[in-house]
Amino acid sequence: MTIRARRERRPGLPVFGALIRPTVRALPRGPLLAGAVTGLLVAALPRVLPDLGTPETGAVLLRVSALAMALGLAFLLDDPSRVMTETTPAGRPLRVHLRAALLAPLAALAWSGALLLIPRDARPPLADVTLEAVTLTATALALAAATVRTSAEPEPGRAAAVGLLALVVAGMLLPDRWGLFVAPGSPQWAAAHGRWAAVLAAAVIVWAVSVPEPLRRGGPRTGGIRASAGC
Amino acid sequence: MSTTVTPPAVEVTRPPAAKDRPWAAVLALARFEARELLLHVPVFVFLLLYLGYSVYSLVAAERDGMADYPVLQDADRAPQSAPQLVALAVLLCVNHAVLRSRRHGTERHFGVLPVRPWRRTLAHVLSVVPFAAVVAVVVTAEFAWAALKPGAVGHGSVAELAVAPLTVLLAGVVGVLLARLIHSAFAAPLFVVGLYVLLVVISVASDGTSPHWLTWLSPVVPETGGAPLPSALLGRPAAWHALYLAGLTVTLLGAALLVSGRRTRPVAVVTAVALAATAAGVAGQSPGDSRQLTEARTVASVSPEKDQSCALRAGVRYCAFPEWTGRTADWAAVVERVERLAGGHHDRLTVRQRVEARYGLTGDAALVPLAGPGQITVGTEWGGNRVPEFAVGVASVLVAGSEKEASGICDARAVTVMWLALAAQPDPMSAFAHVRLDDGTEGPGAVLAPTEPLAMSAEQTRMVRELLHRPSEDVTSAVRAGWTELTSPETSLTRVAHLLGVRAPEKEENRDDPCAA
Repeated sequence: MTIRARRERRPGLPVFGALIRPTVRALPRGPLLAGAVTGLLVAALPRVLPDLGTPETGAVLLRVSALAMALGLAFLLDDPSRVMTETTPAGRPLRVHLRAALLAPLAALAWSGALLLIPRDARPPLADVTLEAVTLTATALALAAATVRTSAEPEPGRAAAVGLLALVVAGMLLPDRWGLFVAPGSPQWAAAHGRWAAVLAAAVIVWAVSVPEPLRRGGPRTGGIRASAGC
Repeated sequence: MSTTVTPPAVEVTRPPAAKDRPWAAVLALARFEARELLLHVPVFVFLLLYLGYSVYSLVAAERDGMADYPVLQDADRAPQSAPQLVALAVLLCVNHAVLRSRRHGTERHFGVLPVRPWRRTLAHVLSVVPFAAVVAVVVTAEFAWAALKPGAVGHGSVAELAVAPLTVLLAGVVGVLLARLIHSAFAAPLFVVGLYVLLVVISVASDGTSPHWLTWLSPVVPETGGAPLPSALLGRPAAWHALYLAGLTVTLLGAALLVSGRRTRPVAVVTAVALAATAAGVAGQSPGDSRQLTEARTVASVSPEKDQSCALRAGVRYCAFPEWTGRTADWAAVVERVERLAGGHHDRLTVRQRVEARYGLTGDAALVPLAGPGQITVGTEWGGNRVPEFAVGVASVLVAGSEKEASGICDARAVTVMWLALAAQPDPMSAFAHVRLDDGTEGPGAVLAPTEPLAMSAEQTRMVRELLHRPSEDVTSAVRAGWTELTSPETSLTRVAHLLGVRAPEKEENRDDPCAA
């Protein structure tokens, strides 16, 4: 019965259009803005301190910039009114993907800005760094979605941000053979980006599994917020 | 008619009494928060990771062999870097814990409790103490493990050991203060990212020669890379740095209490004193290497005999820096084994310990060969690979007369040198692989020695390998009998092969060949 009810609940385009304005209003602007500004400021550092204009430092700064933006986007799923919105006919996938779709162009704009701010000589291969940035963002979103799915937490952003930071630190500690954060020009660069793509695939899978609402309440949901990704 | 009698209201609040124990609530809260902190995923995982890494590095070092001869002024700062993981997790999760009541909307309920907000702040800071204590125990255990080795030399410093637990405490206090200042969930992760950028900027802007004061503002300054130096030449302001960290921790704690509403004179005074201590620490650690230190380092590098004391053992003089005099017996054992194989054809030998201190703790500069006859260099490290390397140094001086002469060995003498050095080792073949730069026992290659490496050609390598497979007594007697010819640069490789009784090379090699390789 529940299942059939859900299947019949396919919101059409009008619902989508009607959702846009309230979704824009409900976006967690603070963290998103703070993440983007921090990312851009970090990327702007070589313009102020010319010492930082080496390829190695350029890669490090771009990664930090991507991390800052991903930390901001980790708060994307924060919805203080989740208790109410989860009973609306427009399901979570629709609402979440609408949020993501609204922010994707802005995130792309911010990332392009960061890429342009790094001096030309210091820029690592753009496609590969962008893959890293996309992976970091996807991991943050997957952590947030998994937190929402496994706990009653209406604002998973904090847990996802801490979880992402912890994962990045763990990634930096990996031995060279399995390393992710390799320096540009290193013989490991291509292999490392294969691993980045694998991480991206894993994040997308976690995201795809976590975004739909569970058909029934119960299981881990009653366990409270303990099962969150971060602290 | 009846009168309504209102009974007096039961007193629900009473003025504080002497038997109240306000600190009991703080301690109970701290205990609870510490347990909650441990159950946070990042803290738990990183603490486990840290403990696992500490055990792993201990076991890995044991296998290497150099762990049996630790230098304590280096061993005390070796365990400083890893606890930063714990510090990072503690910073993030303490911040999370302080903001918990705000997130769950229970701040109002806490507002009516007798436990004031500043006491809750203090309890959160105290909840970090057990983690700092765990780190302190691990660091102390690692140092004690090294210090209790019979081969340990040098002096550790308490200030260096205190850095790791102080870093964890400082991180906890920063997390609490951040939560009290900025109620946003985004503050702590952003702070960590900003701090990382700052450290990158410091380390890059510096390019290794960063301003001394800027480097030392970072909580942990590992300064590794070079060979160990005598503790007088370290030039690390360890005590000032520990004072800086402790002062900063207390200053930020005071600031957190002030922000939480405890604006009393004692807190203000303690904060001011701590601030002064921080400033004193910064002032103390900021000046770069003093002139005396630079001079002392130059003296130790150029004319070490001024700092050293010498001891005579079995006709050989061993000169070592005061902290290393206990290692004379280990060096003597190697020298005597090599001499016994060579049959006592030598002049008076002097084993001199040397360091290159002029480039500081991070500079890994090679030592220049000594020109004096019979002078042998030994470094400050010992154990593992350093033993066969020293044996190569001894053997080459016995064969060539001096290190300066030995550094130019491009002829058949290399075979004799290598056989003398390796036959004196318990496991010659594995020692052979280890002293070779390419870790192989075939083909041409360079052999590590305390000063200049020794070049070997493919044929010489083959001959050494064959010699090591023959009974040691036969080769020893052949070496003793043919000593004059074996130590002459004019002798050809074919003649050496004949003298030592191994298969001769099919064609005489070009004299310059090994050196060119």
